[in-house]
Amino acid sequence: MVRAALALPLLAVFVVPLLLSVALVLPDTFNAQGMNDVWQHPQFAGAFRLTLLTGLASTTLALFSSLLIVARSSRSLSSRAGGFLAVPHLAFAIGLAFLIMPAGILARIIAQFAGWSAPPAWITTQDPYGLALTVALVLKETPFLVWALASVLNRDDLRQAFAGQRAVAASLGHSRRSVFLQVILPQLLPRVIWPLVAVLAYGMTVIDMALVIGPTQPPTLAQLIWVDINNADPEVNARGAAGVVLLSGVILLVVATVAALLRCASTAISGFWSKGPHQSRLRLTSLRHLPQRGRRREAPDEVSSLWNAFRIIYVLVIATLILQSVSGLWVFPNLLAEHFTLSAWKRLLTDASPVFTSLALAILTATTSLAASVLWLESVPQSKDKGLLWLSAFALCLPALVIGLGQYRLFLALAISGTATAMFFAHILPVAAYVFIMLQGPYRGFDDRFRSAASGLRASRAHFLRQVKWPMLKAALFSAFAVGFAVSMAQFVPAQLAAAGRFSTLPMEAVTLTSGGNRALTAAYGFALMALPLIVFLVAVRMGRSRWRTV
Amino acid sequence: MLNRRHLLATAFAATALPRLAFAAAWSAIEAEAKGQSVYFNAWAGSDTINAYIAWAGDEVKKRYGVTVEHVKITDTAEVVKRVRDEVAAGKADGSVDLVWINGENFRIMKTEKLLFGPWSEAQPNYALVDVEGKATTKQDFSETVDGLESPWGMAQLTFFADGAKVPNPPRSMKALLEFAKANPGRVTYPAPPDFYGTTFLKQAIYEHSADRRFMSKPDDGSSGLLAEDTFTNFLDELHRHCWREGKQFPKSQADVTQMVADGELLVGITFNPNEPANLVAAGRLPATTVAWQHEQGTIGNTHFVAIPANAKAKAGAQVFANFLLSAEAQAKKNDIKIWGDPTVLAVQKLNDAEKAAFAAASAPGGVTLPGPTLLEPHASWVPALEKLWLERYGKG
Repeated sequence: MVRAALALPLLAVFVVPLLLSVALVLPDTFNAQGMNDVWQHPQFAGAFRLTLLTGLASTTLALFSSLLIVARSSRSLSSRAGGFLAVPHLAFAIGLAFLIMPAGILARIIAQFAGWSAPPAWITTQDPYGLALTVALVLKETPFLVWALASVLNRDDLRQAFAGQRAVAASLGHSRRSVFLQVILPQLLPRVIWPLVAVLAYGMTVIDMALVIGPTQPPTLAQLIWVDINNADPEVNARGAAGVVLLSGVILLVVATVAALLRCASTAISGFWSKGPHQSRLRLTSLRHLPQRGRRREAPDEVSSLWNAFRIIYVLVIATLILQSVSGLWVFPNLLAEHFTLSAWKRLLTDASPVFTSLALAILTATTSLAASVLWLESVPQSKDKGLLWLSAFALCLPALVIGLGQYRLFLALAISGTATAMFFAHILPVAAYVFIMLQGPYRGFDDRFRSAASGLRASRAHFLRQVKWPMLKAALFSAFAVGFAVSMAQFVPAQLAAAGRFSTLPMEAVTLTSGGNRALTAAYGFALMALPLIVFLVAVRMGRSRWRTV
Repeated sequence: MLNRRHLLATAFAATALPRLAFAAAWSAIEAEAKGQSVYFNAWAGSDTINAYIAWAGDEVKKRYGVTVEHVKITDTAEVVKRVRDEVAAGKADGSVDLVWINGENFRIMKTEKLLFGPWSEAQPNYALVDVEGKATTKQDFSETVDGLESPWGMAQLTFFADGAKVPNPPRSMKALLEFAKANPGRVTYPAPPDFYGTTFLKQAIYEHSADRRFMSKPDDGSSGLLAEDTFTNFLDELHRHCWREGKQFPKSQADVTQMVADGELLVGITFNPNEPANLVAAGRLPATTVAWQHEQGTIGNTHFVAIPANAKAKAGAQVFANFLLSAEAQAKKNDIKIWGDPTVLAVQKLNDAEKAAFAAASAPGGVTLPGPTLLEPHASWVPALEKLWLERYGKG
C-alpha cells in the first residue's frame, strides 16, 4: 500500500492535470463548422504539403546524420551534445537566418569581393519549399538524437553487451561499419523511438522557428493555426482549434504509417541485418585498419567530421548572436555595424525579475519531476511504465497550444489562474514528460544483480539506493534534470496563458520584446535563454561523471 | 461676435452644474483609486513605448497612489480572449484593468459587452481632446466609441526610406508601381492578414476606386468586385516587380523595417508617422531617412485604452487613463526622442506653456511630405478582402 502511494506524486503533478486539461479542450475542437472552415482556408493545401515535407524531411535527415555521427565517433558524445541542446530553437533560427539571409554575414563577406552595394536576390530564407526551415530543424534536432543514441550506447549494462558483440562480429569478419549497421543499429533504433517521435512532432508543430526562417505564402500548417488561434474572433479561433486537432491527427497518422511500413518491410530488413559481412567493404576496411595495430580500440578522441561541422555551425550561429546583440545600425555590405551599443544588455539587466522567476520555476519543476519519476520507478512495476511513456509522448506530441488552452481553462475553473501554483503546473507538465522519458530507460535498465548483492550484504534499501544505485545512475539522473531544466526555461505558450499578466518569465519577456523586431534585443534575449541551460548542462555533465569508469 | 458670446454663455450655464457634479464624482474616483494596482495590458514590442509606460506609471504612483503594472503582450487579441474566458467563467475580479486597443478588437469587445462604461468622456482631461479636428477619436474604425474607450494617440499610414537612395519618394500607389519597376525586388509589404498588409491593401483599393465613400458602409458583397479591380489593374503588376516577385512576403512590419535598415528593401511602412524619426534617434535607421504620406491622403486612425467589464481596479484605471490624456503626458509621448506618438489633444486649446511642450523641432526621419487622413473602411470589409488576397496571392 505504502509503495503504491509513492506513485502518487507523478500522477498528481503530471497525469491528472494532463488528462483534465485535454478533457477541457476536447469539446471545442470537435466543431463541425471549424473543421469545415479549415478545409476551406485558401492556404490549407499548400500549408499541409509544407508541414508534411519539412516534418518528414527534417526527421529523416536528422536521424541519418545522427546515426552517421554516432557510428563514426568512438567517444561518448552524450556529454558533448548537451551544449547543442541548450541552444533554444528560436535563438538558433535567428542566428542561422542572419548568417545565410541576403543581408546576412555570408552575403556581406561575398559582397566585399563581388562589389555588391545592395543585398543579392538570394532565396536562402523563406524559400517556398521550406528548405531553410528543414535545414534549421536538422541542425537543431540532430544533436538531440545523437544525445539520445549516445545515452543508449553508454548505458552501463548495454555498453558491455555491445562491446562483446562488436568483438564477436569483428572476429566473424565484419567491418566497423558492418558491425554498426547489422549488429548495433537493430538494437539501437527501437530504443530511440520516442525521441524520434518527439522530433517528428516538433518538426511538424514548430511555430517560432518557422516564423523566422520558414515560408509565408503559404506558411506551414502550424503557423496558419497560430494566426487563427491568436485572432480575437471566436469563429476564427474555432477554425484554429479544429486545425490543431487535424495536425495532431496527421502526426499520429504519420507515426502509425511509418510503424506499419517498417513492419511490412521487416523481413527484408531482418534479412539484411542477419546477412554476413559485405565482401568489398571487408577488404576496404581491412586496408584502412592496417596502420592500426591489430583490431584494438580506435583512437580515443576520434569524432565524426560531420559532428565537427555541426560544432562549427553552432559556434558561428552563437558568435552571430553575440555580435548582433551589441550592434546598432548595420548597413549592407559593411562587415561590422556603424556603432556598437550595450543598450540591449542594459535592458535585459535592468529588470532581472523574469530571470529569477524562470530560474526558480526551472529548478523547482525539474527537481519535482526527477523526484516524482524516481518514486514511480522505485514503486511501480515496470509493466505499468508503458502507459506512462505513451502519455508522456502524447503530451509532447500535442501542440503546446492545446495543453496551454486546456490548462488555462482548468486554472480558471479552480480560480488559480495567475497564481504561483498555476505557473508551477504550467511548467511541470512538459518537464515531467521529458524527465520520465529520459530516465525510464536507464533506470529500468539497471542491473538488478547489484541489488541482490547489496541485500546479500544486508544493506538496507535506502542504503543501497544512496550508496550503490543512485551513484551508478547519476549520469542519467543529472542529465534528466538538465533536460527538465532546459524545457522549463523554454516554456512559453502555456506559461503566458497561466500567468494572466501576474508573472513574467524570461521567454515571455523575450517573445514580447522581440515582437517589435529589434534585432539587438532579440539576440541578447536569445543568448540569455541559452546561457542558463548551457551552464546547467555543463554542471550536470561534470557531476554525472563516474568515479570508477570501467575500461 | 455677440452671437458667439451669447452661445458660450448659454453653453456655460447648461454645463456648469453637471460640471460640479462631475468634479465631485471624479474626486470620489480618485479617492477610490488610491492604493489600487492597475494591470495595464499593452503591446510591448517597442522598448521606447515600454519606457514611456513605465514613466507614466511612476508618475501616477507619485501623484495618485495608483500602482501601474505593465502586462507585456504581443497581441491584443490575447487580452480579448482572456477577458471573454474570464467573464464566461464568472470571474468578477478580472486580471485585466486596462487594455491598449482599437479597431477589430474594440468592435468585438463592444459587441460582446465585455467593456466597462461609458466612462471616457467623464474624465477631466477629455475636454482637451480634439474631437472636431480628429474625427477618429469618436469613431474607432467604423464603430462609434460611445465613451467605452479613451483616446490615447493618433496613427496614419506612412512610408519611409533612406533619402540617400530614394531622393524622390513615390507619393501614390501608381508612383510606387513605377518605383518598383525601376527598382525590381526592392519593394514589398507585409502579407495580409497582418494588420499593416491589410491596410496597404485597403489603401491600394482606395486609390483605385472612383468612389471610396461607400466603403464606410458594411460590405454588401461589392468587396469581390472592388478587390478584383485593384488586383487586376494594380497588384498583379506591382507584385511582378516586388521582392521575391510577389511570391513570398515578409511576415510583419517589423521585418520590413529591418530589411529597409539592411538595404534589402527600399521602402518601409508604418502607422506611426514619427516611428522613422524615433528609429533614427535610436540608431536603428540612418540619419538620411525620410518619411512621407501619399498626396491624396493615407488611412489614419486613433488608438485607445479601454477598461474590461470585469476589471478589478476600475477607478485606478480611469485615473491612469486621465493622466495619459493630460497635456504633460501627451507632450512627452509626442516627443520623438521619447516615443513620437502624435497627440489626440487639440493643441490650440492648451495654454502657452503647454503648447510650447508640443512644439517639436523637425527631427531627421520626420514626415516631410504629409497627406490628409482618410477614414478606415467599415470593419466588415476586412475579412472579405483578406480572404480574397490570400486566395489570389497566398498560395505561392
